[in-house]
Amino acid sequence: MLTPSAALLESRVTQRLMGFTAFLRANGFTVGGGDAVEVLHTAERVGVLESQVLRWSLKALLCGRSDEWRRFDELFDAWFLPPNRWQSPVRRAAPDSGPGVRPAVADSRAPRGADSDALCARDVAASREVRSSADFRTLMQREHLLEIEALMRRFARRLRHIRLRRAERARKGRRLDLPATIRRSVTTGGTPLNLAWRNPRRVRPRLVLLVDVSRSMAPYSFFYLRLARALSAELTDLRSFIFHTHLTPVSEALREADPWRAQERLQVLAQGWAGGTRIGESLEQFNREHAARCVHSRTAVIIMSDGYDTGEPQRLSQALAVLRRRVRRLVWINPLCKRADYTPSPAGMQAALPHLDLLAPGADLASLEAVLPKLIESLR
Amino acid sequence: MSEAARAHELAALQEDLARAGYIAEAPLAAALLLMQDLGRPLLLEGDAGVGKTEVAKVLATIRGTRLIRLQCYEGLDAHAAMYEWNYQRQLLAIKLLEHDERGIAQKEQDIFSERYLLRRPLLEAISADTALVLLIDEIDRADEAFEAFLLELLSDFQLSIPELGTVHARSRPLVVITSNGTRELSDALRRRCLYQYIDYPDYEKEFAIVRRKAPEVASALARQIVAFVQAVRRMDLQKKPGIAETLDWTAALLRLGISTLEAGGAERIMETLSALIKTRDDRAAFPREVVARLAAAC
Repeated sequence: MLTPSAALLESRVTQRLMGFTAFLRANGFTVGGGDAVEVLHTAERVGVLESQVLRWSLKALLCGRSDEWRRFDELFDAWFLPPNRWQSPVRRAAPDSGPGVRPAVADSRAPRGADSDALCARDVAASREVRSSADFRTLMQREHLLEIEALMRRFARRLRHIRLRRAERARKGRRLDLPATIRRSVTTGGTPLNLAWRNPRRVRPRLVLLVDVSRSMAPYSFFYLRLARALSAELTDLRSFIFHTHLTPVSEALREADPWRAQERLQVLAQGWAGGTRIGESLEQFNREHAARCVHSRTAVIIMSDGYDTGEPQRLSQALAVLRRRVRRLVWINPLCKRADYTPSPAGMQAALPHLDLLAPGADLASLEAVLPKLIESLR
Repeated sequence: MSEAARAHELAALQEDLARAGYIAEAPLAAALLLMQDLGRPLLLEGDAGVGKTEVAKVLATIRGTRLIRLQCYEGLDAHAAMYEWNYQRQLLAIKLLEHDERGIAQKEQDIFSERYLLRRPLLEAISADTALVLLIDEIDRADEAFEAFLLELLSDFQLSIPELGTVHARSRPLVVITSNGTRELSDALRRRCLYQYIDYPDYEKEFAIVRRKAPEVASALARQIVAFVQAVRRMDLQKKPGIAETLDWTAALLRLGISTLEAGGAERIMETLSALIKTRDDRAAFPREVVARLAAAC
């Protein structure tokens, strides 16, 4: 039925459509190989000439979360609309798939941003990048890194163990589980010998980590991010954020299975860190944008910061007061606190103190080990 | 495949939706069409109060079918969602059958027959003769185990009941899943579904909604109301007002006989704000001066 040229055209269109999923994957979308087929099905139904209809349909098909939803249109344009450029598979396979970053759209655009240097040339160590990406370069020492990782993971397992034990189904309860009892009684001819009990379920506790990564925290933020990473591997609903002058969610990046990839993604997120710390504003941002999503009645928020704040203490105090009303426990872990002569001298710390449930030292693993179980206990 | 036909279909669907009282943007309508083409569930995300649940309701209306709603909650298990045996009646039956002459196997068959089966939403949805709309509301409140179970159902459209055998779907329901994003959903579920993020409506859309839902409001007042609400949404609030709040507030204004929003009437507007602002902290952000300023800007 098709003329040869039409067949050729069709095969071109097919190729282009199928390439789109790979392009999205290179940009950090979670799409699988099977989706390429779905794209063709959709195009067959919807037609390809009406570009808006195709856009909306593919958007519904291929997006899976709200950040993908927001980035889709730009990527769609880059791939389908002229002037577009084919990226060779080699280039696309380059490790530039950090989500939430500038899309790896066309070659000409990427070098402008700093991310591609930082990513592709991890050995080159462009001096400017390293300086502005704070402390993450210490992650380069691989053995050291693995050691801490293992230690943290053991620690996180212990934490989870605490949680599991509390969630264990009790043999005895307050309410009889009638359906299950009768189901069991089938084996004993209808006489309920083995009773089943039901206990009220409780909301699982959740941890939210806010890690200060400003210049003054440089020696510690590395350590805290490793902690966050190890914890997030074990506790599925841990939420982590980093802040300096503003707040960035990093849960996704930390969950990256490969430590090198995680490091790369964090490096991208860390771009352009300046010296200042505005804890108050960062917390306000947390309250405004994230608190509704990740704070529930059994949430503990842990702030890891030295309290050196260049913003107004008043703002910090207010933001903490708002946060305190929402969460179950508000804990501040301060690495400087360990020193014997420590008094909360920074203005920021003093403003914060009245709103905290706990101000704890956290310069090393031992002091953290002392704090966190106490915290879990309070969440029961 | 004719291209124009699709665009027509899209416009027709939007019109149908509008007639049923729902103003849908083209992308949402495109997703609804695609959902029927591919037979996939539609996952709707967005803040509370942007009209996610309404999509399912209106879809049922324009298809002329029934809507079955499964409200998820913490601790929802497969039994509560799928089926349950009517244990009390079974127990009674066992007692009654005690002196029956029939064999054990037969008695058992009797006790585990459809008569004693309580159909919960999921079983009901797939055993209906005609395709209906299944709304799985706030999936993020249920736990991961339930999500995995749901995934299995949504891929095969069959349920197995050990005592009865497998129930195959007689018709494929249109499945709409909503989530408020309080918990991260699994990638598997996301990939199985079509996705749509619903944002707060823009000025024009909200105006159209107010006009449609509250036709007794004068056009000028409706414009003011929408401008006011949009300004409120731009403020830094814990709980931003959704569309339902806008409509409530409109009703409240009408009730008090307020026909125009102006700075001078700030006191009376404040009396109605409880319909719009739902937390104490947010209420504190609306002293008289702020309300007057907002009203004056409308």
